[in-house]
Amino acid sequence: MVWNCSQIEERLSDWLEGRLTPDEAQAFSTHSAGCRNCQELVENVQALVRGMESLEMVPEPAGLTRKILDATLGPRKQSSPREGWTRWIPAFWQPRLAMGAVTLAAIALIALQISGLKFARLRHTELSPVSVLNNANRQAHLVYAHTARFVSDLRVVYEIESRLQPQPEAEPPLQPPSLPEQQPQETNPQQKSQSERRRDRSQIRTDALVAELSPSPVMGDTWTRSSK
Amino acid sequence: MDPDAQLVQQCLRGEGPAWEELVKRHTRRVFNLCYRFTGNPAEAEDLSQEVFLRIYRTLPSYRAAEGAFPTWLSSVTRNLLVDHYRRTKRDRVTDSIEDAMPQLEEKHSTARTPDRLALASELSAQLQTALGRLSPELREAVILRDLQQLEYEEIRAVLQVPEGTVKSRINRGRIELARVLKEMGVRPH
Repeated sequence: MVWNCSQIEERLSDWLEGRLTPDEAQAFSTHSAGCRNCQELVENVQALVRGMESLEMVPEPAGLTRKILDATLGPRKQSSPREGWTRWIPAFWQPRLAMGAVTLAAIALIALQISGLKFARLRHTELSPVSVLNNANRQAHLVYAHTARFVSDLRVVYEIESRLQPQPEAEPPLQPPSLPEQQPQETNPQQKSQSERRRDRSQIRTDALVAELSPSPVMGDTWTRSSK
Repeated sequence: MDPDAQLVQQCLRGEGPAWEELVKRHTRRVFNLCYRFTGNPAEAEDLSQEVFLRIYRTLPSYRAAEGAFPTWLSSVTRNLLVDHYRRTKRDRVTDSIEDAMPQLEEKHSTARTPDRLALASELSAQLQTALGRLSPELREAVILRDLQQLEYEEIRAVLQVPEGTVKSRINRGRIELARVLKEMGVRPH
């Protein structure tokens, strides 16, 4: 079998990709070896195909994938991937959880206030449960003392106002609403003894706290003390 | 099941992430086919978007039994390139090789564009220039075989021509490409 230049050109890719029969391959090689033009053509095409096979794909322009997805799925918010604990932020950063977060913050503030912790001069001993309980207890009594003092002041103001205003004789004198500690004589003495003792103890503590708050005697304190 | 076929099924069920994965897997291949054929990165980018839009709309028509997804994708891309080529044909002087010299200056400017895209290979740029001088039929055959590494059977399915025609076009395309590169003074190695 003898081939010419046009047959070499026609079957060049078959030879490159190993699709020639043994006889055909022999005819191909024999002619190429003896023809300079065909030899050069075979070498150039062989090098070109090897070169193209080794080429990597051209990278696509940045953002092309995003443009395609926006065009097909619609515009989407771009979010940079979060790492670590920050991945959970989007799950909790939602309007429906805002009220709950505000409530929790308010409870935490109140708890801190009750605990009486002073962060400016915090010591580790102040964080013990006993210390926190004592502080909370003290805060509770302080609040009670403030309230009691406020109510006493109101009673004093009311009494003064009522005495300054002319009272019609037919009407019985108005009695201020009775506070438990002001009318111990109107209740059953036997039943009152224990409760009276409890009130006395509480009253003593309240008086001590009120005195702590205001060193100079005030009308409320005088009125409270004068009831004994 | 083929991973692409699986993703297509998920896309047809309305799963957005499956479509995202499919796009990410094949964007580069589609872009390269468009870029190697047109020689213009901006045109290739626009055409790539059109390809995926067309794929997105006609996804229900894909049948895994009729061929692999990449083959179908290449077919849709090629058809779009042909449509684009015919639409822009009047803007070109000619598509014959002998009269392609006036286009050579344009292709040289295109050759600078690959530098702008940071292409590493000098052969890639020179190859792109040489590809522009081939006729569209020979160009697409060489691109599909030697740059996209499709099998003859797949190229036959994409081009919708007999396998003998595919082999003939690939062979003539390679020889023509080698001659153009020789004229440009380029020796691939």
